[in-house]
Amino acid sequence: MSEQLKYQKATKRAQVGFTIARFVMWLVLVVGSFAFLAPLYLMLAMSLKTPAELGATVAWAWPKAPTFENFQIVLTNPNASFIMFFKNSTIIAVLSTSGVVITSALVAYAFSRLKFRGRDRLFVLLLSTMMLPGIVTMIPTYVLYKYLHWVDTFYPLWVPAWFGGGAFNIFLMRQFFMGIPRELDEAAILDGAHHSTIFWRILLPNAGAALATVGIFAFIGAWKDFMGPLIYLNDPNKQTLEDGLRTYQSLQSEKWELLMAGSVLVMIPLVILFLVGQRFFVKGIVMSGIK
Amino acid sequence: MCFGLMLVAGTALADGPVRLRFTVWDGDESLKILRGLVKKFESENPGITVSLENFDYALYHQKMLTQYAADSAPDVAMMDPQHFMALAKRKAIIPLNSLYESDPNFKIDDYYKEIVDVHSDGKELFVMPRDIAPMSMIYYNKRLFKEAGIPYPDGSWTWDFDVRPELKEKDFFWVMRQLTKIGEGNKIKQFGYAPAWPQLFTDCLMYSSGQRYVDDQKAPRRLNYNRPEVKKVFDFVVDLMNEKRWTPSALEVSSVLMSTTQQLFTQQKIAMFQSGIWEVPNMRKALKPGSKEFFDWDICLFPKFKDGTLATPSGGSGYSIFSSTKHKDAAWKLVKFMAGEPGMRAMAQAGIAQPAIKSLALSDCWIPNQSTPLEQQWPANRIATHNAVPFVIFNPPADYWPEVQSQIDGRVNNVYNDVMPVSEAMSQAQRDGTQRLSMLLREEDLPSFNWFYGLLVGLVLTLTVLGIVYWPERKVKYTLRERRESISGYKFAMPFLIGFLVFTLGPMMLSLVMSFLRWDMIIPAQLRGFGNYREALMEDPRFWISIKVTLLYSIISVPLGILAALGLALLLNQKVRGVSIFRAIYYLPSIGSAVAGALIMRKVFSPDGGLLNAVIYHPIVEKFTHLGTTMSHWVGKPNDQINWLGSEKTAMFAVVIMSLWGIGGSMVILLAGLQGVPPFYYEAATMDGASPWQKLRLITFPMLTPSLFFCLITGVIGAFQMFTQVFVLFNNTGGPNDSVLVYMIPLYNAAFMSLRMGYASALAWILFFIILFATFVNFRLNKLVYYEADTK
Repeated sequence: MSEQLKYQKATKRAQVGFTIARFVMWLVLVVGSFAFLAPLYLMLAMSLKTPAELGATVAWAWPKAPTFENFQIVLTNPNASFIMFFKNSTIIAVLSTSGVVITSALVAYAFSRLKFRGRDRLFVLLLSTMMLPGIVTMIPTYVLYKYLHWVDTFYPLWVPAWFGGGAFNIFLMRQFFMGIPRELDEAAILDGAHHSTIFWRILLPNAGAALATVGIFAFIGAWKDFMGPLIYLNDPNKQTLEDGLRTYQSLQSEKWELLMAGSVLVMIPLVILFLVGQRFFVKGIVMSGIK
Repeated sequence: MCFGLMLVAGTALADGPVRLRFTVWDGDESLKILRGLVKKFESENPGITVSLENFDYALYHQKMLTQYAADSAPDVAMMDPQHFMALAKRKAIIPLNSLYESDPNFKIDDYYKEIVDVHSDGKELFVMPRDIAPMSMIYYNKRLFKEAGIPYPDGSWTWDFDVRPELKEKDFFWVMRQLTKIGEGNKIKQFGYAPAWPQLFTDCLMYSSGQRYVDDQKAPRRLNYNRPEVKKVFDFVVDLMNEKRWTPSALEVSSVLMSTTQQLFTQQKIAMFQSGIWEVPNMRKALKPGSKEFFDWDICLFPKFKDGTLATPSGGSGYSIFSSTKHKDAAWKLVKFMAGEPGMRAMAQAGIAQPAIKSLALSDCWIPNQSTPLEQQWPANRIATHNAVPFVIFNPPADYWPEVQSQIDGRVNNVYNDVMPVSEAMSQAQRDGTQRLSMLLREEDLPSFNWFYGLLVGLVLTLTVLGIVYWPERKVKYTLRERRESISGYKFAMPFLIGFLVFTLGPMMLSLVMSFLRWDMIIPAQLRGFGNYREALMEDPRFWISIKVTLLYSIISVPLGILAALGLALLLNQKVRGVSIFRAIYYLPSIGSAVAGALIMRKVFSPDGGLLNAVIYHPIVEKFTHLGTTMSHWVGKPNDQINWLGSEKTAMFAVVIMSLWGIGGSMVILLAGLQGVPPFYYEAATMDGASPWQKLRLITFPMLTPSLFFCLITGVIGAFQMFTQVFVLFNNTGGPNDSVLVYMIPLYNAAFMSLRMGYASALAWILFFIILFATFVNFRLNKLVYYEADTK
């Protein structure tokens, strides 16, 4: 047997091994995705069934004649208006997302490009707030809002977002800015540009992916927030979708087809947002390089 | 544009002359009637508009307290005997005596004395009663009685701890046995009886056999759960549920039959169903005369004990006026309307609520006669509700009682969920309930607290932290350009600086000060010193339970989550077919709504027909692994499928599995970390003949340490603060036997249910130190791992 033949055999064996390994990986991923999607599937299947079918069939069977009746009932319930919840969630999420994106970029610019007294210690302080349990500040801020007469308004849910937007977002944005070559702004400084010009003209236009990532994170965070609306909002007409769904649960304790229809309604905007924005996620995080 | 939205988002300004906010907790049916009543009231009282708001009962009383504390209380609110004292004591609701005494058309003597008394503090009335609700109504299915050849109950029946066959239909448990039908495979086809909730049945037996849970029904000072007579009743109930099976266990109803007992009654699977009169509208809806679901039914009273004692647990409700209202007269008009004839009549006709005015309860709006419309004929024997009134027993109305009650309920539910023997549950209920009771009864003489000093301390601490940041660099010389840059820096960082002061550092220091106080935001604060910390560490049994549970949860879920996320990230970093779809699938659940997620998880984990059990008890899986039977044995119920959320051994698993569903967040971060590894590292390693394992160990892991570390830190912090899932999954309790009582649940309840802001702040600070410590340990760990990898 010649050397060449031996070599060919060996490569072939390696290739077969490689293909098998890939197939196994693929199989693991497929099985895993079933496990991850099963609850969502269950939710959808149950929301499309009539109560009679729900009682008669196993929960995960696909409905024989899918019906949108449940969604209609949910949307027209006068005691828990999902349309109102949707509006409230949108207002809060949009206001707080804009705040997070704008102010975290501003602050991140300061920490990544400008030198000022106490900057590095401040940055450590900023990072350490990530470790602070939210509950420590929640009780006194509740008292603060009480004196501002902000309880039962949307202010507590979005105004704080306009003050830096949280350590994680500032950090992400700063890391991203650090990756944009300094030569660009140094050239601009030589041309006599102000810092604000550099920020608006050079950094922001180059930070699209980071802005989108932070924006999507912020939107999802605000949309999903449960504790905040639970504590600050009292008027049932001011509830957000997330809290409204829980209220709805207490109204319709065992009507699963309706609860699931409500759940699907809460999930839809998140899924759409995710599908639209998913290509930014990994890219945005990779480029900022969380370390 | 932003400003426009701001205005939209803000509170609507009051318009019109008088606008009343009117809050209630009620079901869909009653709300419909209340809306009609509000319209009628508005047309009769021009110039007054009423906005009706509905809350769910579980959070209602908490919302009333916090709203009052935050100066945003409604004008008129629905109230009940168990909760009005907490508000009355803080002067949040006003006594109604002067209002009704000066009203010539109003006679308080028209009302049942029992419901008036229970809504007073002994001297003054705080809640104008709208209904009284004895909860010993037995709804019975006439058809099933006829089929079994048993005469309809006329209320003269009695009960004893043993069946007395010689008494026949005069013996309640004989009837129950006769009406229970067992089918093939020992499956129950028809239950003789079921209460709306298990405790209701126990209450009826307890009270009519002359036993009480507490020494004083108005203001309890001692508990009786350790008495043999009380245990005997519980033993009896458990025996009926689990051995004789004449009544379904709570578990059987909610998870096996996936229903409520009320639904089972209308489906004719239960012959007798016990509840209050408020079930009537649902019954009428389900059993329309002429429809194919229809069968004849009626109500009667729960039996007397053999010695002739009749006693019935009772509810009731009414309306209160908040002291913060600006329209006291209009509010009184509304109360008078709703808790007077117009309101009661409408409620009575719908069959929802028994009028609190005696003459109305005896009139034809409640008791049907020939002229009553057909659909309102059922139930015919409504006079039973009136006959029950002299025998009503209310839960203790004392303001401290709900907290003790919830402590006890946690233990007692273990009996109904069949996770603990009666004697053990009773002694725990006695022990923990007594502990809480004595803590709440203890009168502490505390000095009042001057906020000036508190704020001063907060200010000094805040300035100290800022000083530490600024001080070391104060003397660094800056050039003109640098100084300009420095000023710009502060300008750009301003949002963070202000936000940090106002929303983080300031509140933190304030909460530190608050942790030494007793304060409910209503009554002026008192200085409690280390009392809050002492209470948490030495007196509150739930504190240590919650610490244990939270640590356990973190220790299991965080490493497991990171490992799983790492595995996924490694797989998804390969060039596998359809990788971007896989990424989307695995990431999707982590962004999903937590409430919806928790809801669907109840279906995944349900014992019968749940998704998880369907997999592990599947014949194929069973054949190869015996996973299901092994698990069942381990839980202690070899014949049943696992009730994941109902068993104290598995509830934590369920919560951990649920947390694994959301690992997408860490996965993305690790994936990003993997993609950040420069490809030439691998190329060089391949040149040198490194194996895939070597590449993973010597390149990937060291390069990934920062991302892993980040996931670890945020994971631990998140795990310690887990709240929403348990809150939704277990309805703001600690689950079976407090096995998933995560730290945030008692903390939230202390702060916003009991308004104990000082104690809650102390709990928050303890949590802060635990997290700080955990993070510190993680940092040490990180150094270890990183350097080891570095030096090789």
